[in-house]
Amino acid sequence: MGFPVTFFVGLALAGSILIQSATAADAGSGDQVPLMIKLPAPAFKGTPKDIQLSSYVEPLSDKPRPPMMVPAGLKNIAPSAKITCSDKNATADTLAKIVDGDKEASEQSIIYLRKGTQWVQMDFGSPQDIFAVVIWHAHNSAKVYHDVIVQIADDQDFLQNVKTIFNNDQDNTSGLGVGTDREFFEIHEGKLIDTKGVTARYIRFYSKGSTESALNEYTEIEVYGRQAK
Amino acid sequence: MTRSLTLVLLLAAGAAVALRWPGLDRRPMHNDEAVNAVKFGQLWEHKGYRYDPNEHHGPSLFYATLALERLTAAPDIDHYTDARLRLVTVLFGLALLPLLPLLLDGLGRNGIIWAAILTATSPALVFYSRYFIHEIFLVLFTFLALAAGWRYWRSRRLGWILLAGIAIGLMAATKETFVITLAAAGIAIGLNQVWNRLLDASGPLEKAAPINWWHVGAAAFACLVTAVLLFSSFFANPGGPLDAIRTYEPWIHRAAGASPHIHPWFFYLQRLLFFHVAGAPVWTEALIFVLAIIGAIAGFRRRRLAGANASFVRFLALYVFLLTAFYSLLAYKTPWCLLSFWHGAVLLAGVGAAVLGRTAPSRYWRLGIAAMLLAGAAHLSWQSCLANTTYASDPRNPYVYAQTLPDVFRLVNQLEGLAKVDPNGHKLLVKVMAPEGDYWPLPWYLRRFEQTGWWENVPDDPFAPVMVVSAKLHAGLDEKKTHLMIGYFQLRPELFFELYVQRDLWQEWLAHKPVSAE
Repeated sequence: MGFPVTFFVGLALAGSILIQSATAADAGSGDQVPLMIKLPAPAFKGTPKDIQLSSYVEPLSDKPRPPMMVPAGLKNIAPSAKITCSDKNATADTLAKIVDGDKEASEQSIIYLRKGTQWVQMDFGSPQDIFAVVIWHAHNSAKVYHDVIVQIADDQDFLQNVKTIFNNDQDNTSGLGVGTDREFFEIHEGKLIDTKGVTARYIRFYSKGSTESALNEYTEIEVYGRQAK
Repeated sequence: MTRSLTLVLLLAAGAAVALRWPGLDRRPMHNDEAVNAVKFGQLWEHKGYRYDPNEHHGPSLFYATLALERLTAAPDIDHYTDARLRLVTVLFGLALLPLLPLLLDGLGRNGIIWAAILTATSPALVFYSRYFIHEIFLVLFTFLALAAGWRYWRSRRLGWILLAGIAIGLMAATKETFVITLAAAGIAIGLNQVWNRLLDASGPLEKAAPINWWHVGAAAFACLVTAVLLFSSFFANPGGPLDAIRTYEPWIHRAAGASPHIHPWFFYLQRLLFFHVAGAPVWTEALIFVLAIIGAIAGFRRRRLAGANASFVRFLALYVFLLTAFYSLLAYKTPWCLLSFWHGAVLLAGVGAAVLGRTAPSRYWRLGIAAMLLAGAAHLSWQSCLANTTYASDPRNPYVYAQTLPDVFRLVNQLEGLAKVDPNGHKLLVKVMAPEGDYWPLPWYLRRFEQTGWWENVPDDPFAPVMVVSAKLHAGLDEKKTHLMIGYFQLRPELFFELYVQRDLWQEWLAHKPVSAE
C-alpha cells in the first residue's frame, strides 16, 4: 500500500470514528430535534379540466348503498308533521316543499335558508318511534354540507330530553357538541341515517352552509317511523 | 398630445386602476397561478429557473416579476401574498394605456380616447390583468411590437424597429402562441398591401421611404438576443433556446385535440358576447364587438375615420379577424387565450366609437352618442366589478375556468391552526395525496410547511400527523382510529379532499381553538 492510499484509508477511519463518537454524544445528550425526512416534491401540473355545472352528479362511491333493515309497516311520517325553521323569512308554503316528495336536483325543488347555522324542525304531534331519516340538501352539484346535526327532543324548544342522533360538526363551530360522524357528499340517494327506533315527538335538522355556498339548501327530508306504543 | 387627451387618458388610467387593484387576494390562486408562483419562488430563492418545453410557458413572467420585486425590496417567499404577485400582472395590464398615444396617427385622437376607456373597462382585460399567468404579458408585448412597428412604418427610424424586435423577442419568451399572433399580423400586412395597391383607388397611396433591410436585420438580431437571453436563463441553461423550438411538438399535439381543453369554435365568442347561467347576470362585451365592426367597415370604406389612418385600421381589422379565426379554429381552448384578439378588437372598437361620433348630424346627437357609449362603458365596468368580487371564483362567470374555490382557504386556515398547537409548528409532517398530482394550488399555500410530501397515490406508509387526501382515493385512513377524518374540503368543482388529523393533535387543537364569534 503506497503512502497516498494509506493516508486516505487512515483519514476515512479517523472520520468514521469522529462521526460515531459525535452521534453517540448526541444520543447521550438527550436533546431532541425533529426528524427531517426528505419528502417527494410537488409535481408541476398543467391547467386542469374545467368542470361545467350540471344537475347530475355521480355518487363518489361506485358501490350501491346496502339496504337498511327496518321493521315492516313503517311509513314516511314527515309529510304529516308541522314544520318550522330558524329562518324567519321562510314561509309555511316554502317549508312544505321539504316534504312534498320532490327530490329532484332542479332549482324549483330546493328551498334556501339564510347563512350560518340554521335548522328545520318537525313536530309529529305525538311521540313516534323513528327508525330512519333521509336528507337531501341539494344534489345539483357535488358538494358537502357542514355541521349536519340531527337532534330529537320532547319539547319544541329542545330543552327536555335532547338527544343527538347524528353530528358531523367535528370542530363544534355550531356549538352543539363535537361531532364524531363523517361528512358526506350530496348525491341523489340522499343521506340515510339509522336512528335505531328512537322515540321522539320533535326532530331538528341543522346545517351550516356547504363547500359551495354559505346558504343552507333543503330539497327533501323523509322520516320513517310509526306511532310509539 | 393635447391637454384634453392627456386628461382623458389619465381618467381612463384611474378607472383602470380602480377596477384592477382592489381585493387582489379575494380569489384563491388558480392551479396555473400557483405553479407560476412556486416557479417564481424558486427563482426568488436563488434556486434558478429552467424553461420547461412541455408546459408552463415562457420565462418572461418570472424574470419580469423578479426584476419588479428586486426594485421594490420584496419579502422572502414565505411572506408573499397572492396580491403581491398579482400586482405584477396588474401593472402590465395598466401599461397598455400609456402605449396608446404611439398610435395617435393610426387610430386618431378620438379613437385613442375610446380605446383607452374600453381597455380600462373591458371585463376580459380587467379579469386577466388580475391573474398571475402569462396572458397579459403576451398582450402587452404584442401591443408594444405593433405600436413600435407602426412608428417605424411612419418614420423609418432604427430605434423603433429595434424596439419592435425586442418586443417580438419578449413575446416569444412569454408564450408559445406568439406564433399565431405573428402569422395573423404577417398575413394581415400582406392582404392590406394588396388592398392598398389594387382596391383602394379612392385616395392617394401612402408614400413611405423604402424599408432599410439593414434595419430589419438589426431588429431580427435584437429579437433573437432577447429570446436567447431569457430562454437560456441568462446562459445558465444553454439548452433553453433549443427547447423553445422543441416545445412545438407537445403543443401541436394539444392544439390538435390531445388535451382536456377541447371546445367548439364558438367557445370564445360565446363567453364574450352572451354568457348566461341561471342565477347569475348576463355577461356581454357585445358593445366592443359591434364598435369593432363599425371601425372595420369605416377602415375599408375610408369614410368618417375621424383622424384614423385607413390603411392602419384596415390592417387592424384583418389582423383581429384572422387572429379570432385562428384561435377559434384551434381545438385547444382556454378562455384567457381570447385576450390576444380581444385587445385588438378593443383598439378597433375605439375607432368605431369615434366613427359613430362623426356620423352624428349635430352637436346634440354627438353628445347623445357619447352619453350612450359612456353608459355602455359603465355597464362594462359593472360587469368587471362583479367578475372580480361576487363571481370571482364562480363558474357562472365566463372568465372563470377550472378555478380553485374559496374552500381552499378554510383548509389552509385549518392546517395553520394545527401548526400553531403542534410543538413542531410548521415542521409538522403533512402528507398530501392526489391522483395525477391534482393538488394545486396547495403547494403554494402550504409553502411554509417545511415537512410536506406530495404523492399521486396512497404510499405504503401514508400515516402522518396530518394527511390531506383526495376523496377519489377512498383512502379510509381513519379506520384504525388513530386519526380522525375531520371533514371534506373542496378545491375545485367536484374535486374534494379529506383532512385526516392524528387523534391527539385534534384534541389539542380543540382544546386551544378560538371561541367562535357566533
